[in-house]
Amino acid sequence: MSLLDTRERRRASPPRPPVAARPGLGRRIRAAKWSYAYLAPMAVLLLAFVVYPIFASFGYTFYRWNGIGAPGDYVGLANFRQILHDGIFWGAVEHTFVYAFVLVPVQLLLALALALVLNNPKLKFALFFRTVYFIPVVTSAAVVGVVIQLMLANFGDSAGSLLAKTGVTDGHIDWLGDPHTALAVIIAIGIWHTLGYNLVYFLAGLQTIPAELYEAAKLDGCGPVQSFFRITIPMLRQVGVVIVVLAFIGSFQVFDLVQVLTGGGPYFATEVVNTYIYHLAFGGSAGAAAEPDIGLASAASFLYGLLLIVFSALQVLALRGISRRRTAAHQ
Amino acid sequence: MSSLTPRLRQGRRGLLYLALLGGGLIWLYPFLWALGSSLKSTDGFFSGGLNPIPSEFHWSNYSEAWTQADFSRFFVNTVLFATGTVIVTLLATSMAGYVLARTDFPGKKLWLGLVGVTLFLPHGYTIIPVFDLIQRLHLLNTLWSVVIVQSAGGMVFGTFLFMGYFTTIDRGLEDAARVDGANFHQIFWRIMLPLSGPMLATVGLFACINAWNSFFIPLVFTLSRPELHTLSVGMFNFIGQNSTAWTLVCAGSVITLLPIVLIFVVLQRFFINGLAGAVKQ
Repeated sequence: MSLLDTRERRRASPPRPPVAARPGLGRRIRAAKWSYAYLAPMAVLLLAFVVYPIFASFGYTFYRWNGIGAPGDYVGLANFRQILHDGIFWGAVEHTFVYAFVLVPVQLLLALALALVLNNPKLKFALFFRTVYFIPVVTSAAVVGVVIQLMLANFGDSAGSLLAKTGVTDGHIDWLGDPHTALAVIIAIGIWHTLGYNLVYFLAGLQTIPAELYEAAKLDGCGPVQSFFRITIPMLRQVGVVIVVLAFIGSFQVFDLVQVLTGGGPYFATEVVNTYIYHLAFGGSAGAAAEPDIGLASAASFLYGLLLIVFSALQVLALRGISRRRTAAHQ
Repeated sequence: MSSLTPRLRQGRRGLLYLALLGGGLIWLYPFLWALGSSLKSTDGFFSGGLNPIPSEFHWSNYSEAWTQADFSRFFVNTVLFATGTVIVTLLATSMAGYVLARTDFPGKKLWLGLVGVTLFLPHGYTIIPVFDLIQRLHLLNTLWSVVIVQSAGGMVFGTFLFMGYFTTIDRGLEDAARVDGANFHQIFWRIMLPLSGPMLATVGLFACINAWNSFFIPLVFTLSRPELHTLSVGMFNFIGQNSTAWTLVCAGSVITLLPIVLIFVVLQRFFINGLAGAVKQ
């Protein structure tokens, strides 16, 4: 193998990030040429349509640009300053966090309870019920939003008057039009729409627990409550960490549901970060800046990305800490 | 529990079934309501309120939605879009998953790290540079652009699933094939890929469902070509233009939702096993 040949190879694998030179690197790259070839379609799609756009957006953060033609005025860090001083941005961050921190615990508790019921081997039709509770997951948030909007906006009176009769409220409720109820309604629909995922995750976790553990516990005189706290919960810890992390990642990216149901309104009461960014970039919100500003939108999403990375790191550290302490305590 | 008499225990079980069934009805209520309302007359729709059962069946809502509101065209577009996305996703992610699981090459760890990081970054806004890129590739307003952008979004998830699956396959199989003189390609296409049938079904089903339900991507990339609209985009436009034809909107919702729910119900084993496998790793 000639030296020239090796250099060619090294140059011919652009998607690889540079690696510190070690003896035999060229040879190892050459030996793995088909690995790179098989990785290439996935790598090209990911780099072009996921990674490149993230960096390209970062470039836009320094400009005031309406998205047509080439980026216009260079404004330095002004976009970041404007976002950091924008009350609506912080409101959107708050709404997103409220959405996530209400949705995740409620949804996970409901899903775990349902999973425990459906995991009972003596229960008939468990598969049927699992399917029923999973169905909303496979339906489009946009279409579900339209259907629920029709139900609520045109017939909210049916539910509203029912509540009025029972004395909970007095008369008409505009569920999605009232700033006090809109976010709560969206959270409820969010819990309903994606609960199936967590149900399946928990069922998968429960099925990894050997039945002998429960039998042994029963022989030792453990009741169902005791074996739940002593066996089920500790055995679910590993899967549980993944479930919590995934649930938060999903909740922080909420968009379709909010956009279709309220568009962030009324009066920004349900504006989440992704709808805020969307409105900055494409306009379309009543109170937002009339002129779309890609630079401002990119700055907002960059700041939000930083916020999420910090949050994810803290979350992983905290969850690891908890499980390590528990493991130590059990030994 | 053991102190309960058999009859009491049976009663408790009966109550449990009743609760699960009642909960399930409430859970699926929005769909049942849409289904019922799609058969109502316009008057019946307004007087019926939250009652899903139509007083008389207006099947004509469906023929009207199918022909006049162009849902037939949206349906064909959606089928083409979903099929294309499934093929591209399966090819790219199975190949990548295989080499990441079974071969070693410089830069692998760095690549995996980069892929992991992309999971955390917000994607919604990156549509602008993607739009720019598609425009420069002269793919704007084609179904291809929608297929490519949609597939790119599912790369990470599919690759991780295939990677996990290929890791579990016995290494001896590959070694034996190599001893028998099989080369890299033969090992992948003739042995590993056929073995990954359940994962092909899982990732394919995920890609299919996501494409079918995709709204933002087809909306942005076929904006000025109504004849390329998919079901969800078509329905969105229909609402914009006909703000009172609610029974047709409900018929459109059923046309959009029912096929994917049926596909899921038939193939759910693969979908759910895939999800379960992904979280257990």
